[in-house]
Amino acid sequence: MPDLRILLQDNPGKRVLLLGNEAVARGILEAGIGVVTTYPGTPASEIGDSISAIASEAGLYMEYSTNEIVAVEVAAGAANCGVRALTAMKHVGLNVAADAVMTLAYIGVKGGYVIVNADDPQCYSSQNEQDNRFYTLLSNLPCLEPSNAQEAKDMVTSAVEISEELELPVLLRTTTRVSHTRGPVTYGKLAKPRSKGKFVRDVKRMVMVPANARLMHEALLRKVEKAKEISEASPHNKVTHKGKSGGYGVISSSSAYNYAVEAVDFLGLDVSVLKLGMTHPFPEKIVGEFLRNHEKIVVVEELEPFLEMQVKAVAKDYAPNVKIYGKMNRLYFPRKGELSTRLVITGLAEITDKKLPINFRELDERYDETVKDLPPRPPVLCAGCPHRASFYVIKKVTGGKAIYSTDIGCYALGIAPPLSIGDLLICMGASVSTAQGISKVTGVDTVSVVGDSTFFHAAIPGLVNAVYNNHKITLVVLDNLTTAMTGQQPHPGTGVTGMRTPSRKVLIEKVAEGCGVKYVRVVDPFRTKEASAVLNEALQQPGPSVVVFRAPCALMIARERRRKGIRTVPCKITDECTSCMACVKLLGCPALVVRDEKVGVDEALCTACGLCVSVCPYNAIRCGEDVKGD
Amino acid sequence: MEEFNLVIAGVGGQGILLAAEILGTAAVKEGLNVRVSEIHGMAQRGGAVVSNVRIGDKVAAPTVLDGRADAILGFEPLETLRNMRFASEKTLVLMSDEMIFPSGVAVGSTKYPSLDEVVRQVKGFTKNVVVVEAARMAVEAGSILTRNVVMIGALAAAGKVPVKIENVKKALHELVPAKYLEVNVKAFELGYKYAKEKQAKP
Repeated sequence: MPDLRILLQDNPGKRVLLLGNEAVARGILEAGIGVVTTYPGTPASEIGDSISAIASEAGLYMEYSTNEIVAVEVAAGAANCGVRALTAMKHVGLNVAADAVMTLAYIGVKGGYVIVNADDPQCYSSQNEQDNRFYTLLSNLPCLEPSNAQEAKDMVTSAVEISEELELPVLLRTTTRVSHTRGPVTYGKLAKPRSKGKFVRDVKRMVMVPANARLMHEALLRKVEKAKEISEASPHNKVTHKGKSGGYGVISSSSAYNYAVEAVDFLGLDVSVLKLGMTHPFPEKIVGEFLRNHEKIVVVEELEPFLEMQVKAVAKDYAPNVKIYGKMNRLYFPRKGELSTRLVITGLAEITDKKLPINFRELDERYDETVKDLPPRPPVLCAGCPHRASFYVIKKVTGGKAIYSTDIGCYALGIAPPLSIGDLLICMGASVSTAQGISKVTGVDTVSVVGDSTFFHAAIPGLVNAVYNNHKITLVVLDNLTTAMTGQQPHPGTGVTGMRTPSRKVLIEKVAEGCGVKYVRVVDPFRTKEASAVLNEALQQPGPSVVVFRAPCALMIARERRRKGIRTVPCKITDECTSCMACVKLLGCPALVVRDEKVGVDEALCTACGLCVSVCPYNAIRCGEDVKGD
Repeated sequence: MEEFNLVIAGVGGQGILLAAEILGTAAVKEGLNVRVSEIHGMAQRGGAVVSNVRIGDKVAAPTVLDGRADAILGFEPLETLRNMRFASEKTLVLMSDEMIFPSGVAVGSTKYPSLDEVVRQVKGFTKNVVVVEAARMAVEAGSILTRNVVMIGALAAAGKVPVKIENVKKALHELVPAKYLEVNVKAFELGYKYAKEKQAKP
């Protein structure tokens, strides 16, 4: 990673390689945004992380909020005091924030306010691949869709301008391939951030009791009319390729546009391409004109036929006879997963009746034959991960017979054998509450597993519910002292803020006690005997119980050791090893390798956590300086 | 200019993203248009990781089209084979011999093929295959963590990347922390020399 201070350089015209998310961070600095809030989530995390690294130097305020709705509300407060603000989140974060967003659309903002929302087609690191462009229809908020890093930066400024003109929040919607692709970005001018504002009382506009809400709904609809004009005049909506014949026209946006232009080029098609950068409000007139100038229209977009639906509506008024291809009547392009140049080439070739220059089928046959027996390599818990110790303890104590609800974080990887912990996973915080329903109707022991950051994000109301309605569940909080999955961000339990300043630690055990849970214990999962005894006791409780398994993330320990120059002495297998494979079969640690039917240690991976020492029945594993365990 | 399409494949933790970023940064220094695709989050945790580097005026998509890689940089044999979808008979494959066993292999549910077998299968796609002792040279340079830079050195020696070597080195200087720079420069040189010698007498 480059030193993120390159984002602070005030040298317009400089060209650098930036990740889409880093480009958004640069956009924040160029747009004079004074308040940035976020809850980390792939693929949006690096926006907040980049800003966190430079916030104090840049003179703006940044925070990791407890969750996405809190992030939106903090920023909405600031934006209503005239300060420019931005909130970044992953797509499902907008579900959490939706309650605030829907009504904030009525109230509006005074300082420009941008909500960056990163969708994840292909579920690279998500529980679903919902298409959040539909939120723009639901909320009436304008939406910009960049297709690369340069646009991601430039559109932050556009979004702030539109937001201030309309006094309305604006969505900036990226996807994984925009957020996580690096490309050249040419810098614009830096703007001095204003992070202090003034609150001006305006009860009619800002207090959404029914009488006021009715009026503000009307106000919102007036803003939508103005937003339409902005969209029709937007430089982000433009014909980027002009065909000669007027036969086919392609309409596309976001990452899909990149595949579309390369596919057109690859097939040597004579087509025009209309790129939509502002997709809500839908630029009816621009699209209508485009339809009139072509006989056939191909809509290339990822996930749902969001543009196609609106193209069809426009066609009814502008060009009822134009033929429209996409995914509504027939799936020329898939409605799930991400697109690729190949998928667009294939779809376009079929629509235009062109012969494919590459024989993909032959390539597939050869490839499939080669890889069909290859061992898969799914993601796994890291060597030294404390979750492995926790899952080992949970499995040992419950004999694998309990029902395990799990949650969003690295620990979702616990479903893989041999640990195999995780029977139900929906969304942030759901582990706590789904366990209660399961426990109520089955009477079987239920153990819900939640991470530390996820606990603060969404588990607390569920825990209160367990106490209030006396549900017999055991909540195991896997506290690794960081938000591990998304890149080690701090959270309320860490005692550090997004501004990198110290703060008061919110302790999970105190929160649980405060919620009224009678049995609350904290234990290091690497002390397997003690941890097992505690968990066993927790399961005997008549009502809800909470066990906090606390041990730092292995990646954090590794980084700390590197910083201090401490060399890890890896575990050693001694001659007493009988190759019983207990360590391998119970733990599934990537640092334990089997060669020629003998167990060995991958010295580059081993962190000397000592968990294998405590499970070896023959006492045949020695752990160096960093011995933990009983 | 000719378009250049590179696929880098390996296992999470091998330094694939940094390798891609070094090449991408070098391309920008060269004044070229480039796209570097990355995978973050859950997929990274010890799983298969693929990154693409695409250089060229008309490049817009972040990912390489099937059968269109000019070079494949395989940090791990199995993952190299798993990405042969991108190879044609013209593709240069530089493959590290560092085998990392997936979890299923340790518990005995699947078997890892021998290195010779992997090479044989890769050769079914392209004859242009060079096995690089990246891990050995990385350790020789001073840290196993520089295996990615050994591979970049080898790629630079093959002369396929449309970027001057001094720009690759400049990118290395920019992206590697100062205290690790020396070992990384050494790793680059070792990889470079190794591939040059292999080219001379394959």
